[in-house]
Amino acid sequence: MTEEKKPEERKKRRTATEAASKIGPMVKAAIGGTVQAREEGKPLAYSFICCCYDEIIRAMDVIPVWTENYAGVCGAKRDAQRFLERAEAENFSRSLCTYALCGLGFDAWREELGEMPPESPWGGQARPDMMLGSGQMLCDPRNKWYQAAQQYMPDVPVYDVGLPWPPYEDDYDYREVQDYYVKYIVAELKGLVQFLEKHTGRKMDWDHLSELVDLTDRTWNLIWETYELRRAVPSVMGTGDAMNTMVPMVFMMATQEAYDFYQELNDELKHKIANKEGEIPDEKYRLIWGGGLPSWFALSDFNYFNSKGAVFPVEVTYRMIEATYNFDMDLSKVSDPLEHIAWRWVKFWTYWYDRARQRPGSHPDVERLIKYIEDYKIDGIVMHEAFSCRSWHVGLIWQLNMLKKVYKDIPSLILESDIVDISSYNEADTKARIDAFIDTLEAVKSR
Amino acid sequence: MRKQYFAGVDIGSTMTKVVIMDQEVIASVIGATGPEHRKLANRVMEEALAKAGLPFDDITYVVATGYGRINVPFADKQITEISCHAKGVAYFLPEVRTVVDIGGQDSKGIKLKDGRAVDFVMNDKCAAGTGRFLEVTAEGLGVKLEDMGKLSLTAKNAVRIANTCTVFATQEVVSKLAEGAALADVIAGLHEAIAARIYSMVGRLKVEREVALTGGGAKNIGLVRALEAKLGYKVLVPPEPLLTGAIGAALMGRDIVKEAEEKGTTLVRAERRLTEATFFT
Repeated sequence: MTEEKKPEERKKRRTATEAASKIGPMVKAAIGGTVQAREEGKPLAYSFICCCYDEIIRAMDVIPVWTENYAGVCGAKRDAQRFLERAEAENFSRSLCTYALCGLGFDAWREELGEMPPESPWGGQARPDMMLGSGQMLCDPRNKWYQAAQQYMPDVPVYDVGLPWPPYEDDYDYREVQDYYVKYIVAELKGLVQFLEKHTGRKMDWDHLSELVDLTDRTWNLIWETYELRRAVPSVMGTGDAMNTMVPMVFMMATQEAYDFYQELNDELKHKIANKEGEIPDEKYRLIWGGGLPSWFALSDFNYFNSKGAVFPVEVTYRMIEATYNFDMDLSKVSDPLEHIAWRWVKFWTYWYDRARQRPGSHPDVERLIKYIEDYKIDGIVMHEAFSCRSWHVGLIWQLNMLKKVYKDIPSLILESDIVDISSYNEADTKARIDAFIDTLEAVKSR
Repeated sequence: MRKQYFAGVDIGSTMTKVVIMDQEVIASVIGATGPEHRKLANRVMEEALAKAGLPFDDITYVVATGYGRINVPFADKQITEISCHAKGVAYFLPEVRTVVDIGGQDSKGIKLKDGRAVDFVMNDKCAAGTGRFLEVTAEGLGVKLEDMGKLSLTAKNAVRIANTCTVFATQEVVSKLAEGAALADVIAGLHEAIAARIYSMVGRLKVEREVALTGGGAKNIGLVRALEAKLGYKVLVPPEPLLTGAIGAALMGRDIVKEAEEKGTTLVRAERRLTEATFFT
């Protein structure tokens, strides 16, 4: 039954950067911090990444409990199955998002026990005082997961913040409608502030919010500049590491700690470049992680790629920033912090639209791939179809086909598994596919 | 100069194939892999050497391929089945641009350019779309696997098999027979179902003519016809579709030796001793 614990923790993945190796302890401390905060009576909110509200909750001293992160940690520690099974026993379909299933299974168990499930990874996921969902195109569990969680925590209120952005069409300029989107988002964020004020009994410190908005802008720019350093040949940092270094980007945004982390990473990468210190000694193939969340339990597959001479200097997954100074507007002139956040959101999601419109038949996601392929001197593309993550993964094959149609035929590999559910993963088959892919890269290179 | 011989060993999930070549294939053996025989590539190799009338020391280079390639301790090199199938097909049918290989427990599509694999897709997650699908359903129907192809050609109205899951499809075909469907029609329906799965898988590659069919599936004429119907044109089948991987492996070995000779480099070779794999012990 689900009470049995059967984790199969892997040995630590080899990282290329010092910065990436620090992430595990940081995440552990953050999760432990939420459990401690709960004991101290501080307000906690279940939160999703990429929901525009980082600065708002930080300004209100509300402590985020990143539920996707906790599910990923359970997956990485190969200890998610018992929570997935618990959710399944609660009649949730196994084909739903396994982040959500893992979280719901955990919550159901914790609420039933009145304490953390036995031997919960890194101390467990703290009970929240509120849950902050989000209606947006990024994924549907964002506005359903916490509603479903309310059946175990009926006393915990949910606020769902609507965060749309103008969809891409090749025959109209999104700028015609962008003001409406910004207006809508600002109204939603105002509602969120009211919700937080009501449930914490605190008042928003608008000056502090403005400071955090500015800090976030600076952090975005620093991350962009740091990740652009990865264009270097040989590659100084791969996607395996980036799946760690994304933590401050998505879970610690609007904190000085996040900014300092990327400054440190920036320094480290510059040092490696100056010393021609590559991720691996004999780099043969440069690859892009072209889409899909990773299998958190199989990040060592990146080391397997490395053993074949393949590196990943760039990825689209978890590169959730652009340099704000590259936007087609001067964001620094938007002084209202909520408007500023809304504009940054809209400009981020529409960033590749203009490029796409210049190439008939293209699409923003495809243009982004093309730009990275050129900037980072890419030989092949790898994607991961995670069966349980529909919204992010449904268009991957289409993107690949479009890329080949509007740009060029480039060797590609589709890996198939999941983000959390290890039962979907076959290590031998995955390695067989990687081996075959390396063969095709070699064949194309030697033509 | 001493005559050179090259061996290719293809350990598939169901069958183990060995060929020995000089300029042409001089000996080949096809044997069942089976759970116990996975470690016994040495025995199949022995048989092939006996057929060729050669001592093992005379083999210049041995390349192992297939999912069990790691279990060939006497191989000089392991190369993926994708590359070896591509090489083997290009040897027989240089005009081929797409290879569809239907193996015992997986199936794959390979795109060729200049005789080399440049793209591929694999189905290794689900038995539907592989030889295993037909094997299991043949058992359920009480028909010999090797008879299914010819039987299906007598079908008048192929029955639609809705289940793609192998286990449920077996139940479905039994119930179709109980409803009075003709055996040939049911088998033809099974071929259509597997062809549809394979067609959608290789669709990712943007199939280009000519198309070659290899693996055990290529020996089933009903499946060949069903796939041709989906594609809308004839497919090519090499002389011995089970051997293309092993032949490709031997040819790879020949290329490796040739390149080493041209460059004057020394090749590392495994000991010429036919030992069992210890991988499983």
